[in-house]
Amino acid sequence: MPTIELRDVVVDVPTPGSDTPRRLLGPVELTLSEQRISVIGANGSGKSTLLRLVNGLVQPSRGHVRVDGLDTVRQGPAVRQRVAFAFTDPLSQLVMPTGREDVELSLRRRHRRADERRAAAEAVLARFGLDGLSDQSVYDLSGGERQLMALAAVLATDPEVLVLDEPSTLLDLRNTRVLRERLTALPQMVVLATHDLGLARDADRTLVVEAGRVVFDGPPSVAVDEYVRRSGG
Amino acid sequence: MSRGDGLFGSYVQGTSVVHRAPLAAKFVALLAVGVATTLLPSWWTGCLLLALVVGTHALAGLGLGRLLRTMRPVLPVLVVLFAFQWWSQDAAMAARLVLGILACYIAAGVVTGTTSPSALIDAVVGAARPLRRWLDPEAVGIAVAVMFRSIPWIADAFGEVREAARARGLERNPRALVLPVVIHTVGYARATGEALAARGLGDPVEGPQDAPAGGSRPGGPGAPSTNDGAPG
Repeated sequence: MPTIELRDVVVDVPTPGSDTPRRLLGPVELTLSEQRISVIGANGSGKSTLLRLVNGLVQPSRGHVRVDGLDTVRQGPAVRQRVAFAFTDPLSQLVMPTGREDVELSLRRRHRRADERRAAAEAVLARFGLDGLSDQSVYDLSGGERQLMALAAVLATDPEVLVLDEPSTLLDLRNTRVLRERLTALPQMVVLATHDLGLARDADRTLVVEAGRVVFDGPPSVAVDEYVRRSGG
Repeated sequence: MSRGDGLFGSYVQGTSVVHRAPLAAKFVALLAVGVATTLLPSWWTGCLLLALVVGTHALAGLGLGRLLRTMRPVLPVLVVLFAFQWWSQDAAMAARLVLGILACYIAAGVVTGTTSPSALIDAVVGAARPLRRWLDPEAVGIAVAVMFRSIPWIADAFGEVREAARARGLERNPRALVLPVVIHTVGYARATGEALAARGLGDPVEGPQDAPAGGSRPGGPGAPSTNDGAPG
């Protein structure tokens, strides 16, 4: 598995009307190398910021984030070839009108020839069992189908790490179960933030984030109990 | 109308002769329709041009429903334009102008309806290749595709905001219409940019993937965004 390192990472953002920046995250010191890692915490706790650091969508104000030794700031393109990112709302992510077109978009850098790209996209969609939906408008797909299509689009380039930001938030129970099965079957390293404690328990390691700090790091069942306790449950 | 439907960004799969025509030929035909509208000698030649374009639409198998759907948003504008031209010029001139605009509009819809986004990106990338010293052709191609996708989205956002304003009795208040659309559009642009950046589609195709150590941090090559306060 790849190794993700966060060394003394802090993320600050400017505060309008104030000289003091607002701290979103940190300081964080982590080394992640397990295949399944879940991140849980309340809304606004810093989960998304932590995830976005991993493929360079957010840059640390201080410290370094490295994926297999590659710095997410200085070597961003190389990092993003290895780290795919899936957003909560698949419609934010599917930028083409159909799933096939979106998968082809992902493959543009890998396959220059249109016919090769199309064949590769069809293979990816078949692998995900989405070939029957590939030419439907992404607006006509169900929430679960869209989420799987978005996953297919980001996994088309065979990344080593898949980062998912609350992937089950918009899904019903049945689609959440399908998503869990698909994620479990993936050979990639998966790092996901979630409010679904069942999904969090599928991991090998769980981080609990609170007020921008990792307040617990350990086995999922213990971490979930800790999170519930901290949430007043 | 669902987002993504309409004149732009709504490719309809097919195997018609129009679908199979090279994109360059479609662009030349579209240009020819545009030029022809300026040369129309009378209103009935405008009718002929419109009939030709509608015939091409039918030949492409795009369907009457799509034709009516795409015409619906522009019809009120054309009616006002016709009335103004009739008042300021004459009815024949007004008819010629409106028929010409309608023909161009439908012809553009035929091009977007029969050209897949991938083919469109490929064509734009090919056209931008001579400028690769200054521009990344791939980025230009993706930008054009995203533009086509965004136009119906913004049009639909306007429709939704108008409905919301009407429900609050504010349909005559321009601020209640324009501001939310601008905010929606900025949010949409940010989300789209972030989605493209996350997939590395804004990264340079070739060249140094590993910048030298000590390079400037914020906004440097490969830096897709600055911190924007993404909550957890």
